[in-house]
Amino acid sequence: MSELSAKERVERVFRREPVDTMPFFSGMGMVLRPAIKELGYKFPQVHRDPEKLARAAILSSKMFGFDSVVVPFDMTCESQAIGNTISIYEDSEDTLYPTIPEKMWKSMDDVNIPSDIADRWPISMIYEAIKIAKKEAPEYPVGAWQLGPFTQAGQVLELDILLKGIFKQKAQVEATLDKLSDMCIAIGQKCQEAGADYITLREMGTGTDLLSPRTWKDVIQPRMRRILAAWKSPKILHICGATNLIIEMMNDCGADAISVDIKNNLAESREKLGQNTLLFGNFDVFALPCKEETTVEEAIQGIKTNIDGGVDAVWPGCDLWPDIKEANMKAIVETTRTYGKKPSPALGRL
Amino acid sequence: MATKAELLEKLKTGVVEYQEDMVKEAAQQALDDGYVPLEMIMDGLAAGMEVVGDLYDRNEYFVPEVLMCADALYAGLDILRPHVPKDETGLNAQVVIGSIQGDVHDIGKNLVKMMFDVAGWEVHDLGRDVPLEKFVEEQMRTDSEVVAMSAMMTTTMLGMKKVIKMIKEKNPNVAIMLGGAPVTKDVANLFGADGYAESAGNAVSEGIKMIGRLREYQKK
Repeated sequence: MSELSAKERVERVFRREPVDTMPFFSGMGMVLRPAIKELGYKFPQVHRDPEKLARAAILSSKMFGFDSVVVPFDMTCESQAIGNTISIYEDSEDTLYPTIPEKMWKSMDDVNIPSDIADRWPISMIYEAIKIAKKEAPEYPVGAWQLGPFTQAGQVLELDILLKGIFKQKAQVEATLDKLSDMCIAIGQKCQEAGADYITLREMGTGTDLLSPRTWKDVIQPRMRRILAAWKSPKILHICGATNLIIEMMNDCGADAISVDIKNNLAESREKLGQNTLLFGNFDVFALPCKEETTVEEAIQGIKTNIDGGVDAVWPGCDLWPDIKEANMKAIVETTRTYGKKPSPALGRL
Repeated sequence: MATKAELLEKLKTGVVEYQEDMVKEAAQQALDDGYVPLEMIMDGLAAGMEVVGDLYDRNEYFVPEVLMCADALYAGLDILRPHVPKDETGLNAQVVIGSIQGDVHDIGKNLVKMMFDVAGWEVHDLGRDVPLEKFVEEQMRTDSEVVAMSAMMTTTMLGMKKVIKMIKEKNPNVAIMLGGAPVTKDVANLFGADGYAESAGNAVSEGIKMIGRLREYQKK
């Protein structure tokens, strides 16, 4: 069988059809410094210009052989569209993502999402970037993502208000999360209308190093189910941090695949989920591609361990950190191709 | 008049069960009845926080519970601390603390700050999104023994390495603590830090162990 294109490979993964080899792709940012440099951009410039955003994403994937193009890279578009001022760190030479230094809403009572939020700039810029990526790189699947309501709440309110509120003001917490879920649904649907081939729901800050499994079931899971039900497939649910205690609940939210980070014990997750669930992640985005001291051989071994751990795709457990070691990054993708020729738990091979 | 043991128990239970009013009442009564404030802080409030750390380690408490326990602890500390003579802690130590530039997350940082507050350190809190040079300047200005930095994202963690280098070049004796989700023991070693905590909860757990050691030290 001839080699599949990136788009074919990823589409087959989500249809649970055999593939030629394991894909290297992500549902989170995959922009890399070498691509930004070659395009003559500066890191802070790429976040609010749909052409630069799309081109930086496309070239990052082309330079290193990824199987997808993902936009956007930063997590502040919604908060900015609501009215918060963001820091873009225009003068910094370091890799600093935009942040929200001060949030205008001081309590849950203040939360009032504008009815036209999904059409406001800079959110609308994401749709433009998706369209550009689709047009300029048709051989790649284009991934989009949305922060889940709890994680997004931390972008529009001080997170401790919400965390303490879980016990003291539960009705208000639930109402806040519902408003943010509506926003998440609307923006995700527009990303899909713009052509996103798959979408990731990133409810990053709800692992059990932060919330109890009981709180997850009670407060988070109902919103995950509602959001995922409103989006078309393929859709992925990602949570950072400790997830072994909630992995079965994550798999009971309507996602087509589950994504975890390095704190997840893959063997334990596989045992709980069985062989048929698409499981991605658990790849250390700092240690393998970025850490100065990590050799190419160590990076290769790291990816082999990741594949042997039982994932169905080599999928970074977080945004790829842009300042990679090029040799390590290339070796990681190459190892995915060669070592990933054997079947994975949920996927056969052509 | 309540006995000392009764008041200590109230302070401890109030922290564990995040009962701010119970803690305030017990702290005020302890002052009114003439008990030693530092003893009430260490064997009441801090002892309660040690229990909270155990509950966190056993997955019985999570960060929301710990934050509420921290509020209860501060409710007592605000009443008791002003009555502790400055030299009574025997420490007279200072720490510079902040979340690194690019990072606006500060829950972990604030929990670690609490640990230093309990221990009676002078805390120079730079807040969040702190430019790298500011840590160095503040350490030099205050001659603090410890600099504690937190980063929640890999993308900002690398800034810590630069700060450590700048500080250690100027003053190799400063102890550096790192914290945050992407920070592992390997990273801390690699960057030349003296201690680390990988999450807000873990920071509490580590911090509470330090409080425990401090309590033992003060009993000697």
